[in-house]
Amino acid sequence: MSTTFDQVATIIAETCDIPRDTITPDSHAIDDLGIDSLDFLDIAFAIDKQFGIKLPLEKWTQEVNDGKATTEQYFVLKNLCARIDELVAAKGASA
Amino acid sequence: MQLEYFHMIDRIVDLKVDEKTIVVEALVPKESTVFEGHFPGYPLMPGVLLIESMAQASGFLLLGVLKFERMPILAAVKEAKVRGSVFPGDLMTLEASVAHEGSGYAMTEAKIRVGGKLRANSALTFTLIPFPNADMRGYMTKVAERVGFPLQAVSP
Repeated sequence: MSTTFDQVATIIAETCDIPRDTITPDSHAIDDLGIDSLDFLDIAFAIDKQFGIKLPLEKWTQEVNDGKATTEQYFVLKNLCARIDELVAAKGASA
Repeated sequence: MQLEYFHMIDRIVDLKVDEKTIVVEALVPKESTVFEGHFPGYPLMPGVLLIESMAQASGFLLLGVLKFERMPILAAVKEAKVRGSVFPGDLMTLEASVAHEGSGYAMTEAKIRVGGKLRANSALTFTLIPFPNADMRGYMTKVAERVGFPLQAVSP
């Protein structure tokens, strides 16, 4: 069974045409991989579908804009994957 | 339909908020300055205006789903196919459905039929933003009233 990171990295590689071997858990989606907000919508869509969740992009963006969080907390891939795992777990707990 | 003012939709025929679907109609005018250039001797609806029509149908659907609390803004045309020409005087029936509703964005699929025949289809992405000011919200309310948008039914 592939890890959350493997699945997310594959989604990013296929959605944004980025070589898979350049994507690491420490990659920052924006700063390192150059993914812009529009491309990230496609990634969010694919993640939402694949994991059966709804990434709270608006909430995250607001927190970053308000200085309550850093982009690293949400857009470094190992952190993004941890958030995805939390959302999947929360969904399973409420089901 | 007033092409010069981007009034692409004439009437909402059916809006099902729970099912996230909409059907609207739009009568292509027989005369427009647009047709003077597109094309002399062979007037037909520009493909880009067919896409805009599908975007506006999708937009009214999203306004309904979001209870008029967010404004959908076209962000991406993922796919668009013009399968047949649309001419002055044609009555277009547009159908749209929400394919995915994310956080701050949504994706729709839309079709245009004339006389029951599929003429165009598209997959569209919208960002969903707060109304930037009262003027825009007021304008959209007037537009909604013009096309018979059921404002009462979707009031929060």
